[in-house]
Amino acid sequence: MNCQRFENVVSELARGQMMAAEQRGEALAHSETCEKCDARLRDEEMLTRGLQSLAADMETLGAPAAVENKLLEAFRNRHVITPIASGRSNSRYWVVAIAAMLLIAISLVVFRWNKAADEPREAVNQSGPQVRPENKAPENKPSEQFTAGVQEQEDPLPQRPKPKRVRNSGVRRQESAQLANHVNNEIATDFIPLSYMSAASLQDGGQIVRVQLPRAALANFGLPVNMDRYNERVKADVLFGVDGRAQAIRFVQ
Amino acid sequence: MTNGLNWRMNLKSDFSDNELLRSMLAGDEEALALLYRRRQGAIYRFALQMSGSKTIAEDVTQEVFLFLMREGHVFDPARGSVSAFLMGVARNHVLRRLRVEQLLAPLGDDSDDNAPFLHPSSDLCPLDDLTRAETIESVRKAVLSLPSKYREVVVLCELQDISYGETAEILGCAIGTVRSRLHRARALLLEKLRPTAAVEETGSATVKSARCFA
Repeated sequence: MNCQRFENVVSELARGQMMAAEQRGEALAHSETCEKCDARLRDEEMLTRGLQSLAADMETLGAPAAVENKLLEAFRNRHVITPIASGRSNSRYWVVAIAAMLLIAISLVVFRWNKAADEPREAVNQSGPQVRPENKAPENKPSEQFTAGVQEQEDPLPQRPKPKRVRNSGVRRQESAQLANHVNNEIATDFIPLSYMSAASLQDGGQIVRVQLPRAALANFGLPVNMDRYNERVKADVLFGVDGRAQAIRFVQ
Repeated sequence: MTNGLNWRMNLKSDFSDNELLRSMLAGDEEALALLYRRRQGAIYRFALQMSGSKTIAEDVTQEVFLFLMREGHVFDPARGSVSAFLMGVARNHVLRRLRVEQLLAPLGDDSDDNAPFLHPSSDLCPLDDLTRAETIESVRKAVLSLPSKYREVVVLCELQDISYGETAEILGCAIGTVRSRLHRARALLLEKLRPTAAVEETGSATVKSARCFA
């Protein structure tokens, strides 16, 4: 063994660590022949003894009893078992995740439902002027129906920009939106009384019926007639009272 | 009541650390008490030898077991023993605390907290006792003056007598790293102790001659 190899094992030798007997014998033999390595071994042994003394001196040391008391008190006060607490927090995340998934799924269903409901309506609108007579419930305030002035009477009428649709969930909202679109797309004259009509007679309610009349009927009510479209029909809303008699009429484009 | 508690604790005294930890996490206070009594000494001494401060050692011991109460479920038996786990936690707390302390005040100042923790041994004569106490104190100071990465291997392998393998688990490094660090740490210690050793050798010779002449 040379000094370099001795240096590698001198700590283990001084600490009395397990090592091959042959290696140990060689190291000890080298220290006997090499003064420098012998001094090195003695230093290491002295250090080992000093460390052992320090370890032995502190062997009986421990934390004071107050620490244990504080810990036990904290344990009692805590009353929370960590794995269960961890499980709770995990389950909370799961509930939130499931709720989010459900919300997304419901949103998708409602979106598709609205889209499916819009498609047939658009198909009907595209099918042309085959408008069947519709029964409409009277508005809450009939007087409001008479406030709308004649927007335009000449054909063709300029198209208003189509208002942006607001899609809402629920059938009732769809119906109201449909009515609103219908009203917005049409231009109507004021209601023209057909008989001695009073506001009081309308308070009992009534019905508005959509009809188609020959365009010549416009002239009967003093309205101008486009002679180029004389043969075409014109749409009108007839207001029937509760007694079934026609009370008023308005023309619709 | 106390007898009943002691009887139950005696029953559990044969439990392994793993079993005690599981019981403790299930809410068993006696398991915590047993585990604490079994492991607190090593943790306290480790913290004391690393920091040289009794206050830090007490705080660290308490923090380690509070951590065990809070986060004990993270312990994985496949990765090592409970004692190594606790010592690893203690090491992290000590190093964190030392970083804070270094910012506030230098270690090794002459306060009561850093006073040497020596136990008088009655079977030695007063002069031998004094020499031994001086030796221990000089070694203690030399250990405390080591950089932390060397100090911790000295404390674990030399003072706590923990094997290289378990030390590697605690430090989270390879066994070879532990060996090389220990070798380097011992060389540093010798350098620090050499002047003292020379004086001590001279001093002890004087003392021996004085005793011979006495």
